[in-house]
Amino acid sequence: MSTKTIKESAGRKVFNVCNIIFLALVVISIVIPIWNVLITSFAMDKDVVGNDYLLVPHSFTLENYYRVLHSGYMQAFRNSLFVAVVGTALSIVISIPLGFALSRKNLVGRKFLMGMLTFTLVFDVGIMPFYVVVRSLHMINKMAAIIVPVAVSTFNVIIIKNYMSAIPESLIESARLDGCNDYGVLLRIVLPLSVSIIAAVTLFYFVNYWNRYFEVIMFINDSRKYTLQVVLRSLMFEADDSLGGEHYVYSNTKMAVMVLGMVPVLVIYPFIQKHFVSGLMIGSVKG
Amino acid sequence: MKQKPKVLSLRKRISQQKMLLLMVLPGFIWYVVFKYLPMLGLSLAFTDYGFRAKVSFIGLKNFHRLLTSTIFWNAFRNTLVISLMNIVFYFPCPIIVALLINELKNFKVQKAIQFVIYVPYFFSWVVVGSVFVNLLSPESGPINAIIKALGHEPIYFMASVTYFRSVIVSSYIWRQMGYGAVIYIAALTTIEPQLYEAATIDGAGRWQQLWNVTLPSLRPTIVTMLLLNLAHVLLIFEQILVMYNSAVYDVADVLQTYVYREGVLSGDIGYSVAVGMFTSLISLFLVLSTNKLSSRFLEEPIL
Repeated sequence: MSTKTIKESAGRKVFNVCNIIFLALVVISIVIPIWNVLITSFAMDKDVVGNDYLLVPHSFTLENYYRVLHSGYMQAFRNSLFVAVVGTALSIVISIPLGFALSRKNLVGRKFLMGMLTFTLVFDVGIMPFYVVVRSLHMINKMAAIIVPVAVSTFNVIIIKNYMSAIPESLIESARLDGCNDYGVLLRIVLPLSVSIIAAVTLFYFVNYWNRYFEVIMFINDSRKYTLQVVLRSLMFEADDSLGGEHYVYSNTKMAVMVLGMVPVLVIYPFIQKHFVSGLMIGSVKG
Repeated sequence: MKQKPKVLSLRKRISQQKMLLLMVLPGFIWYVVFKYLPMLGLSLAFTDYGFRAKVSFIGLKNFHRLLTSTIFWNAFRNTLVISLMNIVFYFPCPIIVALLINELKNFKVQKAIQFVIYVPYFFSWVVVGSVFVNLLSPESGPINAIIKALGHEPIYFMASVTYFRSVIVSSYIWRQMGYGAVIYIAALTTIEPQLYEAATIDGAGRWQQLWNVTLPSLRPTIVTMLLLNLAHVLLIFEQILVMYNSAVYDVADVLQTYVYREGVLSGDIGYSVAVGMFTSLISLFLVLSTNKLSSRFLEEPIL
């Protein structure tokens, strides 16, 4: 009997070691490529002309960022920032009241509205009908086209709704007795209690706007209005050395542009990270 | 005052909730315009909308055209192959990784791993694609460095008909796995510890606990994730649009990229709506039939 338990725990130990090695490999495969981008963006030209994949930094310079800051890429960076800031504001202004109203159980037509929202999660008509609608609203080539048509995320609305549903009804009732109307309840009672979820949703929206690519190339023709993702794509893929083309831009400068493309995520991520479980429980989509 | 009427007339409820309904309004309008109006736009599939000022109804001509187009069938085949590869290779990954992370004893290490593997999900497809261009570059990429060190010729992965789909699936896994894993881990934490205690008392080993406690408890989450996956798997678009190039159209052109080129770039709107509609209806069919199947295994359907 005792030999059996020893055997089992030995097997368990082997499993634990293998498990740790496996998970370490998973983590490495995610960290290394990002780390490489970061250190290459700070490397001097002499370290990248030999086409080495850098794993440890050999030099440190801000020269690449200086080059990028004085290039056409800054226009794209400003466009991305504009879209993300204005877009996030619009998204929040629509999503919070919508989420709050849906969290009220006696709302007229609540079931219908919830059905209307969740149906969009499983039925997507694809890009063409969407394109036709945006075009017939005369939005093509306007910044509004990459903001308004993508302003609401059903997931985010449902996250807000679920969070606000959990606020005790008694709090809301007592505010109502004190003479608050629905607007007052949202502003004075519900919003102060929902700061963390609203912060998370705001950041989700911001990152989504920042990352958008196909809406931009679909709706925008004027290259001065391109966002950073679009110019980064042409930089990385169209002069792509894996296609055998010449590359005139050293990889350290390319990586500096790429870091600009990732920077909101890298800055914001540690703050969103805390909220992801509450935010992403899709199991609670229903109801 | 005690005897409040329980059922108010609809009109009374509406006037009571004026402000609440006003809060719904902007969102409601948004959904109507940008989600439901496009559904009406599907009717363009039966027209020749696009080239001429006058739009006329042409019945099923667009569908006849797509069924006889070799480019369509190529895109259709690629969509199915890539979707199937995604389901087979991607779908189990987050479940396995979540289970393995859950086996770690140190809570802080668990948290740290989750923190790291979730990062790529927040990068755009352009950034993820660029990361893969770096990794797979024939001159400077580490993968080709290994291939060269083994004495082989470097492989031009991004332009290779043989490897391109694997690049698509790998980068999909790289970006999405952590996101899925975090959701499964959240579901794992909701399993009652008593279930494991009871199983242990009944003499269940680790594997038996996995099969009889853990996986059954994860079933609703797995089915939900599968449904959401199926709803979007055939609509794969942005990732391909970012990463493909004319050298790999044969293996990489999917229905949505075909729709994009025909509709947005060439302006053949009626036809491309038809192609898109075809895709959306198959997706909906997949979701509804999976939902129906799942309702047999679960207490209730997910949707």
